[in-house]
Amino acid sequence: MEELYLIILFLFVLFLLLGTGVWVGLALMGVAFVGMELFTSRPTGDTMITTIWSASSSWTLTALPLFIWMGEILFRTRLSEDMFRGLSPWMARLPGGLVHTNIVGCTVFAAVSGSSAATLTTVGKMSIPELRRRDYPENMIIGTLTGAATLGLMIPPSLTLIVYGVTINESISKLFIAGILPGLVLAGMFMGYVAIYSQISNNWNPTPEPKMSFAEKVKNSRFLIPVILLILIVIGSMYLGYATATEAAAFGVLGSLTLAFSQGSLNWKTFTESLMGATRTSAMIALILAGAAFLSLAMGFTGLPRSLAELIAAWELSRFELLMVLLVFYIIIGCFLDGISSVVLTMAVVEPMIRQAGIDVIWFGIFIVVVVEMAQITPPIGFNLFVMQGMTSHEMNYIAKAAIPMFLIMVLMVFVLIFFPELATWLPENMRQTPGG
Amino acid sequence: MQGIHALRRALDRLYLASGVLAALFLIAILILIVVQMLARWTGEVFPGAPDYAGYCMAAASFFAFAHALNRGSHIRVSILLNAVSERVRRFIETWCFAIGTALAWYFVYYAYRFVYFSWKFGDISQGQDATPIWIPQTAMLIGSIVFAIALTDHLIHVLFSGDHRIESDVVEQSHGE
Repeated sequence: MEELYLIILFLFVLFLLLGTGVWVGLALMGVAFVGMELFTSRPTGDTMITTIWSASSSWTLTALPLFIWMGEILFRTRLSEDMFRGLSPWMARLPGGLVHTNIVGCTVFAAVSGSSAATLTTVGKMSIPELRRRDYPENMIIGTLTGAATLGLMIPPSLTLIVYGVTINESISKLFIAGILPGLVLAGMFMGYVAIYSQISNNWNPTPEPKMSFAEKVKNSRFLIPVILLILIVIGSMYLGYATATEAAAFGVLGSLTLAFSQGSLNWKTFTESLMGATRTSAMIALILAGAAFLSLAMGFTGLPRSLAELIAAWELSRFELLMVLLVFYIIIGCFLDGISSVVLTMAVVEPMIRQAGIDVIWFGIFIVVVVEMAQITPPIGFNLFVMQGMTSHEMNYIAKAAIPMFLIMVLMVFVLIFFPELATWLPENMRQTPGG
Repeated sequence: MQGIHALRRALDRLYLASGVLAALFLIAILILIVVQMLARWTGEVFPGAPDYAGYCMAAASFFAFAHALNRGSHIRVSILLNAVSERVRRFIETWCFAIGTALAWYFVYYAYRFVYFSWKFGDISQGQDATPIWIPQTAMLIGSIVFAIALTDHLIHVLFSGDHRIESDVVEQSHGE
């Protein structure tokens, strides 16, 4: 019985610190401290330092700042304009027209950036004014962009997947490769929705695009070739086993520096801005990971993960039922916490659960990312909504409403993933092994 | 007043310098990885490269904590903070900075002991690099000291003038997602 009181106290401290707005990384550290003091007689401070030191100085983690830096560099290039100019001629004839540039643009940029907010800003900078000028319905412009930008989390490189991989000690390149097909399927579903909407909606009469010959289209797209090459090098080198995730990230940074240089958008100012931005963002995530490493150690001593896993096992839920429980659980958490924090906070408890239920952890990584993506576009703290608000000065509610169809498509995607798990598992099972892990 | 202004400038410089140092370690990670790849392709070995990159990662993180704090990059749950009145907010901010400051100094104390014992017993890294481990660990110590100073600085500021000097920047925070 006493055990139960202690666990309630422990959870209370967790909610208290997080809820009052203590920075997530520090809050996790504080909760872990309380947990250690309550449940063990080990020297708390020394254990804390040893754990945090080994978690922060890990080699796998180095992929994180490099991929962030790569995204920051490309974010400051002319890529935004090139993307719209290169993609729009090909989309003009599709049902749904140029709205597809939002989705395809996000898919392409997602393949060079691990962040959904950066994806949104880069694609939206150009496509929002251009689509408005052509009289596309505003709710479609806003909704598709907000939704499709979340592909940044799923299509490799993905910061959330790096954090997930580091937390549960699984291969990051495998997780990345696992994200490719589900990402493309999700993008396809978004496009399908746009096509159907454009056929049945009454207020769909955008300005038609001028006709373009094939040669002209190709000419307009030539600026996209370097980006496509960069994507192929980064993802291809991991898939073919030439490089680890970190090494692919290093290729990515060098490649994007070259690309920025050849465009003439690389100067001292953009270089230092991208570098400092990457340093801050990676420090932010590193603080959360440091706190989480200590917390998951402390969690182990509380016995909470094991008893929860046993409890779940005793319920004898089917795989599907367990996933539904987790889906609801993560949607609720997503209302209060950002994606990375909710992944690191819960994995200590959820990992034993899913391993016991025999769920593939690589597959689960993709599952969790889709669910976290949904949280990005739902109030109260969906980051994409904030970013979109900053860009368009629409009301938060308007943006959230415009994104509801995308939210429903993502829910559908969760079920597609559950019923066709091969989407996420087939590619990683068939990739070549990386030298030295 | 003169003294306070000088102190203010000195502290701000300290945070920025520490951030710049972190950025240099980020570049060092890139260089280490590229050199290690080149070595592998040419059939050479660069023993310990992963370990060195790991040390740079720790240094890049810890040195940047204070700078990231000042720019509002660290994520926090701000639902409550946004919902309450000005007076209550000041109270909650004080509580947050007090908790943060206490934790940071607690960390500093044990980080110091950790480094001190590594140095005293001459601990060597377990990896191929065989570095005396206190050298990279010192970066963690110094970084966490700067972070603790920054939190204390903000705490004092909240106590005396009612607000901290952090520009909350959701767009900046969102770059992690």
